[in-house]
This record gives sequence, structure tokens and C-alpha cells, in this order.
Amino acid sequence: MEKEEKILVIVPAYNEEGSVGKVVDEVHTHLPRGEVLVVNDGSTDFTSKIAKSKGAVVLDLPFNLGIGGAMQAGYQYASEKSYDIAIQVDADGQHDPEEIGKLLRALEERKIDVALGSRFLGTSEFRSSLMRRMGIFIFSRVISMIVGQKITDPTSGFRAANRKAIQLFASNYPQDYPEPEAVVLLHQCRLKMGEVPVEMSERYSGESSITKIRSVYYMVKVLLAIFVDCFKKPPALEQEK
Amino acid sequence: MLIKIQIIVGLLSIILLFITFELIRKKRLREEYAILWLFTGIAVLVFSLWPEFLLSQFFVRITGIFYLSAVVLIAFFFLLLIVFHFSVVISKLTGQNKDLAQRHAFLELEFNELKKRYQHPDTIHS
Repeated sequence: MEKEEKILVIVPAYNEEGSVGKVVDEVHTHLPRGEVLVVNDGSTDFTSKIAKSKGAVVLDLPFNLGIGGAMQAGYQYASEKSYDIAIQVDADGQHDPEEIGKLLRALEERKIDVALGSRFLGTSEFRSSLMRRMGIFIFSRVISMIVGQKITDPTSGFRAANRKAIQLFASNYPQDYPEPEAVVLLHQCRLKMGEVPVEMSERYSGESSITKIRSVYYMVKVLLAIFVDCFKKPPALEQEK
Repeated sequence: MLIKIQIIVGLLSIILLFITFELIRKKRLREEYAILWLFTGIAVLVFSLWPEFLLSQFFVRITGIFYLSAVVLIAFFFLLLIVFHFSVVISKLTGQNKDLAQRHAFLELEFNELKKRYQHPDTIHS
């Protein structure tokens, strides 16, 4: 039964020609039964070409929508093509495709709708700037309080979603700061989520979109967005046919 | 002094009304957005040319500010409304734009897939 599940690995990529090929290859190695969908978010480099040459399905957005819009496009594809499980993997190589198995196992064994990969659970020694760690710590506290469940790494974009969550994300996906906001959205829609300890490595290429100077500003904005989200009307879940 | 200001403000609002009408006529401005501009023009015109108008008297009395400030304040209020209205419209357009882009990308992918199958029917896989 479980072998029949259709699995889609969504890799949103914006100008990641240096790493996207390697990520696609690794996913193929570690998850041969999964299909890889690279969502090319209006890249101006060879991201799309490289991904295609590596055998990934490439969804070319006509212009840059940002990570939220790209991710949602991926979930819409998963929904239309009736995949059972969708996995988000960053194109910059910080998520190790070898760890996808852990997410899949958690989905099945713990009967949750979304498995969130966390770099702070478990043994992983993740080096990152003090500011960034402080920011994540504050998010983690605030979001844990809102969703009434401990979330150690709300900004992690390494996740696996089942059919129910795919349907939700295809029609409603937060656009501004999708990772932490999606956690709040899941809570509002009463979907079950759980964290899974995963290893995260250094990026193969490119820089974090969050620079040191902007991190405080970023934090305030995300907290504000989350605060506003708490007052939004939760979307009605569509019934599965 | 007052009459000079009245003429200037009145002329300005007439020009505003005229431009709005012209743009609607040439279909460069949609009616739904033009309505707020028309109201702005009319309100400023009425308040400038007719200071004894019941509403303007009432406004002057409750706020205690004199004629010119009242005109400016009213114009400012309408401008606020317009800007707010635009923010709402832009938000809606942004969402629709995003939906279209996502749909476009999906359909393009499907189309290319079909085209490939149509041109090389032997190499079908999946």
C-alpha cells in the first residue's frame, strides 16, 4: 500500500543554478520513487535549463512571485496531479535529501498531516549567526504559544505534507513569510503537525535572503504578520472527492 | 482675500472635474475609480464657492477652523479615501496576478507535455 503512494518533491528555486542540479540529483538518489518538481520562480539564470537536464519537471513561473507564490504553485501542481505526499526541499542545498525518509516515516507513523523538519531537535550542530538564532528562538516561543504545541524551528522550509495539507496549501498559502505563517495556518485549520529532527548542511551556493542588518526588521515584520494571521478567518477546508 | 482663494480653489476643482470627465470619456479611467474623484471635485467646489452652504457652516462650527483650512481638510479626507481605496484594489490585483501566473505556469507545463507527446508518440513514458 505505502509503495503505491505518489510522492512529489517540490523544489522552489530562484536563481539557484549553482545548486539546483545537485539537489535534484540527490533527491533522485535518495528517493527514486518520487517525482521532482522544480518551481522556477522567474529566474534570470540557467536554473530552469539545468533542472530540466537533470530530469526534473520544471514549472516556469512567468515572473518572480516570491517563495510563497512559488511554493503554492508547487502544491497546486501536486493537487491537480493528485499526489499523495508533497515534500518541500530548498534549492540552495541546505536540506539534505537523505533526510526525506525521516519526514515520510513521521507522516505515516505519527499520523500527522504535516511533518516539519527541525534543525534544533536532536543532535544536529547547526551554526548560524547569533542574531538569526535569537530571532528563531523568539519565533519559536511565540508560535509555540499560538499553536499550543512546541515548535522549535518554525522557519524551516523542509517539510512533508499529506493529501489533506496539499489541498489546503494549494488553495491557501501565506505569501509574505510562508514558513512560520503556514504553521499558524495549519493550526487554524486543525491539521496535525509534528516536528522531526533533521540535519541541515551549509548552503552549496548563494546567500541567505536574510542579512544581518535586516534581521531585526524581518523579525518584527514576521511577528506582525503572525499576529495579524491570528485574526484572519480560517479558510474552509475543501472536502476530498 | 477670501474671494481670491475661493476663485483659485474653485478653478482647481473645476479642472479636476474636467480631467476626470475627459478620462472617463476616453475610457482611460474606470467609472468605479472615477466616482471618488468626482465626489472630491464636487465637494471641494461646493465648499469653495459657497461658504454659506449649510454643511460647510456646520463643519466650520463643529471644528472651529476657518474657511480655507476646512476646504483643505475636506480635500485631504477625500484623498485619504482614494488612497485607501487604491490599496484595497492593488491588494486584490496582486492576488489575481499571482493566481494567473501560477495558472499560466501550470498550463504551459501541461501544454509542452502534450506537445511533446503529440510530436513523438513513441516515446511516451509515465
